[in-house]
Amino acid sequence: MTRLFGKHGWVIGLAALLALLFLFTRLIQPGFGASGLDSLARATLPFAFATAAMAVVVIAGGIDLSVASMMAVAGVTAAVLMDGAGTGFSVFAVVLVLGLGLVMGAINGALIVVTKVPDIVVTLAMLFVWEGTALLILNAPGGAAAPWLRNIVVGSVIFPWLPKAFVVLLICLAVVWVPLRRSKLGLSIYAIGSNELAAYRSGVAIGRTRIAAYALCGLFAAMGGLALTSATGIGEPIPGPYLMASVAAVVLGGVVLGGGRGALLGPIVAVFILRLVRMDLTLLSVDPNITTIVEGSIMVAVVMLGGILAARARS
Amino acid sequence: MKRFMSTTAAIAMLTTSLSGAAFAEGHGGYTLGISNTVQGNGWREEMVCAMKAQALVSGKVDALNIAHRNTDAAGQLEDIRNLIEAGVDAIVLNPANSEAVNSAIEEAIAAGIVVVAVDQAVTAEGAYVLSNNQEEYAYLGAKWLFEELGGSGDVVYMRGAAGAGADNDRDTGFKRALAEFPDINVAHEVFTGWQQDQGKQQILDYLATGLPVDGVWTSGIDNVIVDAFVESDVPLVPIVGADNAGFVGQLANMEGFTGAAVTNPGSIGGAGVTLALQVLDGEIPDSNTVHVDPSIWANNDPAGMELIAGAQNPNLDPEWPVSVMIPGWTDYSMEEIIACKGPGE
Repeated sequence: MTRLFGKHGWVIGLAALLALLFLFTRLIQPGFGASGLDSLARATLPFAFATAAMAVVVIAGGIDLSVASMMAVAGVTAAVLMDGAGTGFSVFAVVLVLGLGLVMGAINGALIVVTKVPDIVVTLAMLFVWEGTALLILNAPGGAAAPWLRNIVVGSVIFPWLPKAFVVLLICLAVVWVPLRRSKLGLSIYAIGSNELAAYRSGVAIGRTRIAAYALCGLFAAMGGLALTSATGIGEPIPGPYLMASVAAVVLGGVVLGGGRGALLGPIVAVFILRLVRMDLTLLSVDPNITTIVEGSIMVAVVMLGGILAARARS
Repeated sequence: MKRFMSTTAAIAMLTTSLSGAAFAEGHGGYTLGISNTVQGNGWREEMVCAMKAQALVSGKVDALNIAHRNTDAAGQLEDIRNLIEAGVDAIVLNPANSEAVNSAIEEAIAAGIVVVAVDQAVTAEGAYVLSNNQEEYAYLGAKWLFEELGGSGDVVYMRGAAGAGADNDRDTGFKRALAEFPDINVAHEVFTGWQQDQGKQQILDYLATGLPVDGVWTSGIDNVIVDAFVESDVPLVPIVGADNAGFVGQLANMEGFTGAAVTNPGSIGGAGVTLALQVLDGEIPDSNTVHVDPSIWANNDPAGMELIAGAQNPNLDPEWPVSVMIPGWTDYSMEEIIACKGPGE
């Protein structure tokens, strides 16, 4: 029990914080219930996928600044392909877009491995490349999402308080993450993030693993793009505010920016915390110029508190 | 960990006690929600101030719930749904684009909330629209510029933000005017992103090349373009901008400068509040859509110059449009909008 608590302390702490926030929300808005949870889950979806994308590369010891731009490319591609298409073709379009995500990510990874230019530089450049690509595909908001893709995140399943969007998120993340975590590739990703030299001496193919991590990042980003198209019903070529938000959630979620430590659960709980804080600030009608300060302060406070607690635990 | 939890609980309690004031306000009037997705831009700030001022002077609004930040359409969906959760009576929004936020608007209408879209239209059924005609905005200014150049010459085309709905509509209007003047050549086309610094750098770079320029059309990033000509020591050419205070001041006062301002009132936000309150009071308008058509003020035309001279106000922020009121729609005074205070502030 103590070991479990020690290993997952950060995530348990975050979950407790989230529970407190829910309680607080209920306090300021007694009517908060199923519809509120639904709004929250739907708002969380694109941020959660962006965060998962960022988490994978950060665990592998890298960073990808082109996450939001890749989401835009995936979103507009889906919207263009699905515009006027039947259900059959739209399913094919989803598969195609997920494949496109893998390819975009792999290109980012391959450029880093082959050129040996730092990841932050390569992905910063690719941020602009993918942004331009999205604008080439669709120069203004347009296209359309297939009706089934729009409805897949609307309403609840089994229980009235269980939003479909939340279930979709869990399934999509689990389908990729659970097998990965148990595979050799998953282990290699943690290994190169933790200590590249040690991983190399243990026989891990560094280059290939790095490319795979970036490809997975692209895959999650493509899911994020599909989530955007699903939410808005169209494709938007200008990337949204997902880059900084994903880095914030990854850090808040307990993934170490140097790589090698952390998982997906913490960052996803962190995304929910950040969205719920936003909702509470709206419910309280806090001055909009102050809300960003509040959001930033909460993040710094929680991460600092975590650092202090970790230091105490060690001593 | 225990300490961690007790600390967070203490923080939560502290926030609760601080926020108690928000609930102590009296009830009886309406609560309005506002959603806007561009922050830190003079035009949008004037729009939000017009909303606040109009809500205050109407005397019918108890509280405003303002979601005002830089975000995309998905973020606006989140904001609208949060406003629904907050239980507002009406939502006045400047939509990220015409289709993407329809689902949340429809949910709001289903919840009995009056929704008014200002500046740009939305296609959601049951929503009210008070929009500036963006295509006409670009057409008027471009036509004036091309006529001013005698129907031929090299024009620099300085657009807004790539992929934005309003930029797209304006491009349609610009191209319509261009089609009427086949001898006008677009020598250079750039996206300023509606950012002053970016637009100024772009025109400085172009002027430094020494390539010909006979006129400039801007999408509202205007006074810095005039500044760039002066700073580069290049003779001024005709420039089209918006009715921003800084640019209108240049039109009035600069020797040898010919230009025109096209009106694009940010005060449409205040008009949106008026419309929302009318609908809440049961005064349903005949049509769901009201278009506000722009007008052009050229400083080489006596009627235009009179309007330019009348609009001078040193108290206005140079990035704010000078058309701070819309007759018949807004009731606040100049001081009230500049003060930018809403009910309860």
